[in-house]
Amino acid sequence: MQRRHFLSGLALSGAARGAIDCGCAMMPQTQSGPVGADAFGPAGSRARITAVKVFGVSLTPDSDRPYVFVKIETNQPGLVGWGEATLEGKAAATMACVEDFREFLIGHDPMLVEHHWQSMYVHSFYRAGPVMGSAISGIDQALWDIRGKMLGQPIYKLLGGPNDPRGVRGYYHLRAGNKEQRLESREIAKKEGITCFKTGIPGYYEWIETNDKISAAIKSLQELREDMGPELDIGVDFHAKTSPAVASIIIKEIESLNLLFVEEPCPPENVKAMAKIARRTTTPIATGERLVASYSCRELLELGVIDILQCDINHTGGITALWKAAALADASGVSMAPHACEGPIGGLATIHVDAAAPNFLVQEICSGVKPDTKELVWQEWLGFPAMRMTNGRFPLPTKPGLGFDLDEAKFKKYPFGGTKPMARVFHEDGSVAEW
Amino acid sequence: MPLGEAGGRLLAPDGFKIFRHTATPRYTHSHMSTAQAVRRARLQSMMAWQASAAPPDQLAIKDLRAYPLREPDSGRSFTMLRVESVNGLIGWGECGAAIPPSEMVAAKLVLVGLAANSYEVAWRRLTAAPALRPAIDMALLDIAAQQSKAPVYQLLGGPTRTKCRAYVPLEGPAALERTQQAGHKAFGVPAPPNEWRNAGKPYVDKATALMQMMRRAAGPGYDFVLDGGGRMTPGDAQSIAAAFEKFHLLCFDEPVVSTNLGAVRKISGESVTPLGFGRTLTTAGGFEDLLREDSVDLLRPSLARHGVSQIKRIAAIAEAYYVAVAPYHDGGPLGTLAGLHLAASIPNFFIQQIPSPASERDRAMRNSLLSEDVEKVSAGFAALPNAAGWGVRVNEAAVERYSQEARG
Repeated sequence: MQRRHFLSGLALSGAARGAIDCGCAMMPQTQSGPVGADAFGPAGSRARITAVKVFGVSLTPDSDRPYVFVKIETNQPGLVGWGEATLEGKAAATMACVEDFREFLIGHDPMLVEHHWQSMYVHSFYRAGPVMGSAISGIDQALWDIRGKMLGQPIYKLLGGPNDPRGVRGYYHLRAGNKEQRLESREIAKKEGITCFKTGIPGYYEWIETNDKISAAIKSLQELREDMGPELDIGVDFHAKTSPAVASIIIKEIESLNLLFVEEPCPPENVKAMAKIARRTTTPIATGERLVASYSCRELLELGVIDILQCDINHTGGITALWKAAALADASGVSMAPHACEGPIGGLATIHVDAAAPNFLVQEICSGVKPDTKELVWQEWLGFPAMRMTNGRFPLPTKPGLGFDLDEAKFKKYPFGGTKPMARVFHEDGSVAEW
Repeated sequence: MPLGEAGGRLLAPDGFKIFRHTATPRYTHSHMSTAQAVRRARLQSMMAWQASAAPPDQLAIKDLRAYPLREPDSGRSFTMLRVESVNGLIGWGECGAAIPPSEMVAAKLVLVGLAANSYEVAWRRLTAAPALRPAIDMALLDIAAQQSKAPVYQLLGGPTRTKCRAYVPLEGPAALERTQQAGHKAFGVPAPPNEWRNAGKPYVDKATALMQMMRRAAGPGYDFVLDGGGRMTPGDAQSIAAAFEKFHLLCFDEPVVSTNLGAVRKISGESVTPLGFGRTLTTAGGFEDLLREDSVDLLRPSLARHGVSQIKRIAAIAEAYYVAVAPYHDGGPLGTLAGLHLAASIPNFFIQQIPSPASERDRAMRNSLLSEDVEKVSAGFAALPNAAGWGVRVNEAAVERYSQEARG
């Protein structure tokens, strides 16, 4: 396009929406359907989305991970859907991104969940990173909640489940700083039928580590296994704190501890770096919480890096995307252990996918064996002990949709405190450390 | 050796072993590195946590009955399956011909008492009924969707489209004109028979002449699928694929047996003609292998082998490779109908194969099985049903009658 046309276009701005050429190489040639609420005709439903609301909820004013909840309202009496778009450290950006999708949704049929997912993802042109992935996740969960309510079924039944009506196996985090606390947790687990824990590797690690540091890490994991006993499954989260070099050494030496998995033994961007660690050990490798959409799982599966995939329903693209990631993993013989470290809505949404996935292994929740303030707040919101296990399993919701009713008035006590940065950790010499 | 399991171990460029996929047992040591085998074997026992039966409820499965069917003239055969739930819902499915009676026995053992909407659970438990389970999958989806008073595609997250692109494999000399008049815009043409193996240029010339004749006869605005039927030698398939680059086929379908991934890679490496593969594959892993070779443009999972929900899973894998799905279908009208619902449930559907027999008697039989002609096509597209379940009633009297004929 020639420059003078570009300028004359500018002069018309506001007159004819969409008529202004951006001057870039490709503008859509035509706007071909479907557009508008009735584009799918009788194949769609009569329900229409009337509002998309987004709530920032900070349990404490300085929380680095305020919950981002999405509520979609419809023209059907009492029919609403809830979803979660919490993205740690980026709450305000994610809330704004949910708002950006308003035009994709208002006036449209909420039943077309795959259509809306595709349209939000594809028509955003720049493919989803974590902010957009989380926004789509919240909207997608809310649409599934509505779908389940419209179809009169809990979502896991729409997905062909449940594998086990008793619920889905879960794990708590081991919140134990010393031997006594570990023994106590082991005792509670035995009493309550809990079969699995996860904990983190202590400390922060430089690119190459000293004998002292590596020996201490190994010793702490050996003590962990000793205190927890042989019968409990234990996952250890390296949280990408280690380089491939350091992770490889530690994991090799703890093979005999028979861990359920080692999680994120190095940062997630470079799949082949993680592959290097994986091929040097028999300990199962798990990763995936930072991945958006099923596309991002392809290389991990193709190169045989992981035995366990951990995509997070609040970031990867909701129920739609987590289900697809599980389908990819299943064909590769890889198990699912979805990450869940945000609020209760995403946690409950994950349980539905777990209950129908043939390759489901275990479900996380970032809570301890003893419920804390956070879990009490969740119970106050939802009216039942959300994301608490019975006999080592998260019970399956029985109501249609995600399986709960929620009144946003309950968030008033926890106003949005704004975005707060997550932890910032530095090495002894001041250089930036992974945490 | 079952189809889809040939070829042994593959090596990725950097030397990592890529293991192959088997249905049962899931993780065999010969298919992966020792480290992987040990890790997966441990996890497999953990997954047993999931193995427990759902309690029976109103949707529990009560009975199933299979009806073998055969078109009187063409001999095309398929099976329709009727599943009944405790609360009286009837679901219908379709699969291939010749179901061994032992599969019916095995399926009843697994299914009776299981909730009819647990279609994913049923699939995993029906390893002893591999031929029947695609029909069971469809029938359970039908029941689940009826229970929700919604079309199957809505149960599965759709609609993703408002109508479904279709192609018809041409059967017999008059088929082009007849199917054109019926509204078809895309046609499958079987590659010409080959007198000798490795025929080279004369064979390419023969195929080119045939397809040019077809295009002239059809006129402008029509498209073609060239059906290799898995019968060509890799060399001939390569030459054909190269010769048809500028013909712009929708797809060169099943040029060779797709289990030889080396041959598949060679054909796709030397030509830009879109390649379709997969009608004989029985596992999702077989499709994954094709995708990992970056050598396939259109996946052709057979409706009779995978049902609807499992093709949805295969489509999810294909989506991550930017590859489309066009279910292979050489069965009856209910299978076509299930294909239409599947098309409206997935984002990466391209085209549905719809059989149209040459004989009027055969077509009359297909028409009589359902309350509506779901295989009707207008300007190249089939319409999407919008009532609950499959959205079309099965004519049980006709099914019974034709089934008795087929049993002979």
